[in-house]
Amino acid sequence: MMEQDNTLAKVQKIFRDVLDNEEITLNDETTANDLEEWDSLSHIQLIVAIEKHFKIKFTSREILSYKNVGEMLDNITVKLV
Amino acid sequence: MIFQEGKIYEHTFTLTQEVYDSFQRCSQDRNPLHTDKTFAQSKGYPERVMYGNILNAFISYFIGECLETKNVLIQSQSINFRKPVFLFDMLTFTAEIHGVYESVNTVEFKFIFANRQDGVMIANGKISISVIP
Repeated sequence: MMEQDNTLAKVQKIFRDVLDNEEITLNDETTANDLEEWDSLSHIQLIVAIEKHFKIKFTSREILSYKNVGEMLDNITVKLV
Repeated sequence: MIFQEGKIYEHTFTLTQEVYDSFQRCSQDRNPLHTDKTFAQSKGYPERVMYGNILNAFISYFIGECLETKNVLIQSQSINFRKPVFLFDMLTFTAEIHGVYESVNTVEFKFIFANRQDGVMIANGKISISVIP
């Protein structure tokens, strides 16, 4: 759980940097509908930044399957094990 | 994905009179630094300084015409203008694939423009493209 929180903090920093908004606060339930800046282009930029930061690779199927930030964090945690 | 990390591309561009005239017509930018030799010399340049954004037009050509596929779209690009460019300069453009992100069909390039005559770097930057499925 602590590891998941740590990952959330790192992903939140990436969102703030990429979307240029220091006020963004993520939680497991956050979706693109909750963040005005999270559009199709910034979505690509977010995925690229997350892959770079954690040195992981997603598949397009994985990305399409996420219903919210929490599911993405779960997937990141699995890849980091 | 047809793009491989580490691949290097090279192309030569020339700042011809036609390029200069066309860009001026397109941009409507008639700042004297670009159009008046005397003014440019008063600011310490030997000649009219070419529009830096001509280099962005060259990048457009590179992405649109020089890659393995036409199914590409520029997402973003950033450029640092290091040195001025003058009419008739020949530039060597070198781009390297810096990252391939298949999950989002994205390829990132790092590029350098160098003066072909003396090898001095004119500009550098990054380009991010989408590969349209």
